[in-house]
Amino acid sequence: MMKKIKWGNLYLWLMFVVLYLPIIFLITYSFNAGKVMQGWSGFSLKHYGELFADTRILEIVVNTFLVALLSSLLSSVIGTAGALYIYNIKHALTKNVFLSLNNILLVSPDVIIGAAFLILFTVMGFSLGFTSVLLSHIAFSIPIVVLMVLPRLQEMNRSLVASAKDLGANNWQMLTRVILPVISPGIFAGFFMAFTYSLDDFAVTFFVTGNGFSTLSVEIYSRARQGVSLEINALSAMMFMVSLALVLIYYVISTRAAKSKKQGTRLVLPASEGL
Amino acid sequence: MSRVKWHAFLVTIYLLTKSEGWELTNTSTPIIEFKNVGLSYDDNEVLKNIDLSLEAGKFYTLLGPSGSGKTTILNLISGQLTATHGDILFEGNIINDVPVEKRNMNTVFQDYGLFPNMNVFDNVAFGPTIKRMSKTDINAKVTEMLDLVKLSDYADREINELSGGQRQRVAIARALANDPEVLLLDEPLSALDYKLRKDMQYELREIQQRLGITFVFVTHDQEEALAMSDWIFVMNDGVIQQNGSPEDIYDEPINHFVADFIGESNILDGIMKTDYLVHFTGKDFENVDAGMRPNERVEVVLRPEDLDLTTIENGKLVVTIDDQSFRGDYYEITALDDDGNEWQVQATNKAEIGERVGLTFDPEDIHIMRFNESEDDFDARLESYEDDADDAKE
Repeated sequence: MMKKIKWGNLYLWLMFVVLYLPIIFLITYSFNAGKVMQGWSGFSLKHYGELFADTRILEIVVNTFLVALLSSLLSSVIGTAGALYIYNIKHALTKNVFLSLNNILLVSPDVIIGAAFLILFTVMGFSLGFTSVLLSHIAFSIPIVVLMVLPRLQEMNRSLVASAKDLGANNWQMLTRVILPVISPGIFAGFFMAFTYSLDDFAVTFFVTGNGFSTLSVEIYSRARQGVSLEINALSAMMFMVSLALVLIYYVISTRAAKSKKQGTRLVLPASEGL
Repeated sequence: MSRVKWHAFLVTIYLLTKSEGWELTNTSTPIIEFKNVGLSYDDNEVLKNIDLSLEAGKFYTLLGPSGSGKTTILNLISGQLTATHGDILFEGNIINDVPVEKRNMNTVFQDYGLFPNMNVFDNVAFGPTIKRMSKTDINAKVTEMLDLVKLSDYADREINELSGGQRQRVAIARALANDPEVLLLDEPLSALDYKLRKDMQYELREIQQRLGITFVFVTHDQEEALAMSDWIFVMNDGVIQQNGSPEDIYDEPINHFVADFIGESNILDGIMKTDYLVHFTGKDFENVDAGMRPNERVEVVLRPEDLDLTTIENGKLVVTIDDQSFRGDYYEITALDDDGNEWQVQATNKAEIGERVGLTFDPEDIHIMRFNESEDDFDARLESYEDDADDAKE
């Protein structure tokens, strides 16, 4: 019995193979016993051993996650407040100006944002390091959060706000008991997206880091320049696993949220960039 | 106290009892009052100089087509909107600047506005929770309210698991859980199907009478308004066209708009030749209206259900049947008279299309509307008929 070939499926699989082949290649060689990417000389975990012995790398991993966590948390708060503000602007032109200002930041190249921040920090006499990286990460994450939260607000039924007021709620009660719970999927998506953006940002961080402070992407870049070590493969493999885990966690939480509320709409999965 | 002073004191007391101020405390103050209230957006006047007065414990309906200003009045009462000019009073106190959340009234919104992040219980408990009532009180209140709207078994349901009718009930329970003195309803039944709407009309009326609070109901459905209300305000173009009991509004429409909007009407141009004699479709008819200038131009209203088909000899008018459809308890007939006027008739007897028949009606079925008659003049005219009728009896 001949099975009919589904060309669409075949194409899809081919695409995924092309997309994931480099990553799979990289991960495979992180287990190579040899020192280089050419020639497979047997399975070994020695590169992972080297990695865990490298205290600088471990420190950088902690730094990277700390920056990602702090910047995404803070930008979620600021971005949500910003989205609420834009939502409440009555004047159409003002609203569009704010929205455009937000979107310009989102589409402008990272290199320019990074260079701009570098100039700003230098002019202000701000020493480069953890704080400068954190601040710039917050800055480029805010527009992402705004963009994820605003549609949720616009979808929200206006009469929810009217009802809350009508039933005697003040502005704070209305915000905490009605608006924030209703738009929480958007905030959640914004947080996750900001987190992944921060985690894998290279361009902006490259400009504003200094004084020995580094994040993973910058560190991998500088090490790769000095010559390929399979330790980097091990590190990249682990980072890939972390982002995979993040996506899975996100998926589980969002399906559970969708199931418990039966809202039918699943959260928008953030487009996570390859690490 | 000297004699003179004592006397002055007694006179003052006497005058006080006679004064209007004293009277007001004795007679009941309207629960809601509008004094020359208007609302404009830029140059667009949405509401023009509205005066109205609502008594506590009654079922009021604001009836009108969309854009007539009925929902605007509701939003002014609730405080969602602020008037451009005029005063809004609640139990005699001006509440123009009192914010929504401080007014002792609640609203059932057209799309219900139920909180999707809470279940039925928490939705109804929202108001009492905000008021910081105790847990036991909240439980009691929510149970009572869900009982009132017959949703006792649905406390744990999520909002999106409910049907439209059930959501409607939750919205009513939630609004009533705050013990409002006035419940405002903004076209709450418009999203329901016909049968459900009928049931809810009946139930809303029952709830209102059980609680004894004031309901202000907004609708564009005249049938709904007639079925539920104690008192109807018919709105158009930001003006109250007529207000009165459902019977008043139906039987004595004040102008073309009201006659046309409430129920079906045959409206014709006519002339009041003298008192009790009106001329239309080229003939004179005896009627019960008086007090107009001789030969004053008027509009004549005849309700389809007041018209009957009869033989040509017995008919006051002769018409040709143009169209006919069966409506269950009557036939909806369209007929043309010899002048080409179209007549809507609701008849119990069947006719043949093309058949010439007589049309008959009683003198009191002829309703006369003067052009541009003010509501006060109209009321005065109606009262004079009643006086005449009383005189006749004596």
